[in-house]
Amino acid sequence: MPALALAAAALIALALPIPLQVAGYSYFVTVAFLVILNAMLGVGWNVIGGWAGQFDFGPNVFFAVGAYVAALLAVHLALSPWLGLVAGVGAAVVICAVLTWPITQLRGHYFAIATVAIWMIAQPIGATWELINGSRGLFLPLRPATGPLDAVVSLRFPGRSKALAFYYVILVLFAVTLVLLRMVDRSKLGFYFRAIRDDQEGAEGIGIDSRLYKVIARSITAAVFAAAGVVYAFWALAVFPEQVLDLNWSTFPMMATVVGGIGSLWGPVVGAVLLIPISQLMGATLGAGPLAGRGIDLVVYGVIIMLVAALRPNGLLSLPWRAWGRRLVGRRR
Amino acid sequence: MTALLEVDGCTKRFGGLVANHDVTLAIEPGEIVGLIGPNGAGKTTLFNCISGRLHADEGRIRFAGADITRLGADRICHLGVARTWQIVRAFGRMTVLDNVMCGAFGRTNRTSEARVRARRLLDFTGLAGHEPVLAANLTLADKKRLEIARALATQPRLLLLDEAMSGLTPLETAAAVDLVRRIHAELGLAICVVEHVMEVVMPLSHRVVVLDHGEKIAEGEPRDIVRNELVIRAYLGDRYGAGR
Repeated sequence: MPALALAAAALIALALPIPLQVAGYSYFVTVAFLVILNAMLGVGWNVIGGWAGQFDFGPNVFFAVGAYVAALLAVHLALSPWLGLVAGVGAAVVICAVLTWPITQLRGHYFAIATVAIWMIAQPIGATWELINGSRGLFLPLRPATGPLDAVVSLRFPGRSKALAFYYVILVLFAVTLVLLRMVDRSKLGFYFRAIRDDQEGAEGIGIDSRLYKVIARSITAAVFAAAGVVYAFWALAVFPEQVLDLNWSTFPMMATVVGGIGSLWGPVVGAVLLIPISQLMGATLGAGPLAGRGIDLVVYGVIIMLVAALRPNGLLSLPWRAWGRRLVGRRR
Repeated sequence: MTALLEVDGCTKRFGGLVANHDVTLAIEPGEIVGLIGPNGAGKTTLFNCISGRLHADEGRIRFAGADITRLGADRICHLGVARTWQIVRAFGRMTVLDNVMCGAFGRTNRTSEARVRARRLLDFTGLAGHEPVLAANLTLADKKRLEIARALATQPRLLLLDEAMSGLTPLETAAAVDLVRRIHAELGLAICVVEHVMEVVMPLSHRVVVLDHGEKIAEGEPRDIVRNELVIRAYLGDRYGAGR
């Protein structure tokens, strides 16, 4: 049954944007791009937040690191975004390990506050650092791709095909992330993360270096955020500090994880599929109305989170889907 | 003579309170040592100092010749000291099998190997039937058993059991005593048991160490300890000491 659900989800993810694109609704393809982007961030955040149980409120710092590193390399060295991806992820992992090592001594709320503090310190750095052009931002060099191969290598897609192409780029990256994180989940790392979450002293008592494994967990989260940040930079064609350090790059993945099911691999995916379209479509439909720009989507988010917290604190994925599926299949027979 | 564990003049203070004062004891390979004493005698503090949860303020602790006084708990576990906790610290949201696998991962990086080792220990401890159960849903007796299995999975040479039998029914206690005997007989580990229940410690231990107010007041074979006047006073008060 889960294999069937997985196959169905993969099929929908692969095929859904094509009719939208053909019908000329490339806006909805962009919404789909943002859904997958946030789902990817969600499964990344789930490693530190869900598996290791350490609430990280500032993972967007590494989203920005990925975006800036790849953009800098493209601007100054005309480096391909794929090499930028490797460099961005590497830089984010190193920076994350260095920044996280001292704060792993903190627990619970204090760890969370420290991650927020790092984000707050990152903001003025992003706004004033000359190397990255401060608040004037970095603009990626524009040049048309010479052919389909060059388009894929340099992530430059002409005209209306851009939305669809970027959708598949992020989908591939997301699939790779899921496969890798599934391996992490089932390896020693996954076991150690959950042991630390459930009882840190108990974990240390059976030989687990809690500090080291917290740093590893957050570095994995940082790697995923950086990879997404690289793609985002080439999608947006510019990197501004207030844009890549926007709090939403932390809160949306977190909300998606909590609503979908914290700690399970697929929870954030379910949450992102539900929440991101709500925000995008409300923004679009209320655009001209009296409620425009009032953050009404956040009110709806608040209501959803309250409902989930009150009725299903383990997230939507913890609902008895399997029994429902069986009943559905049984009825059809 | 080189003992497996040597605690030499261990002192631990919490502010003005001296929890352990100049405690010296040794545990030989393959020996079962009972550590007893009234409430607040400092038994758990001594365990915490040995296992690296706390660090002694004065004195030295050596394990298999290596100085472990200042090492962290995870390092000490890798050297071969495993412990259980008075208040159970099972990983509640993980299954019984996963709990024990976490211990086994201390000696292997391969998931399949960790699973095989964990299953073997679940068989040994009689928890095989509970494999897919979340640890939080076990009975207290089974949680304590699970902690022992998880500790054994780290392949220790010395096992520290902190009140592994407190709060159990007489039947469960008998089963736990039997398990400790089997760990000793079949795995050949040195074991140190902290226990309140005298009927448990005395027949089980080769040697008994008595703590009172943080100090070692007696040490010897169980049958001598039960007649020791200091011990009787510590437990029952001066009125019951001989000669009054």
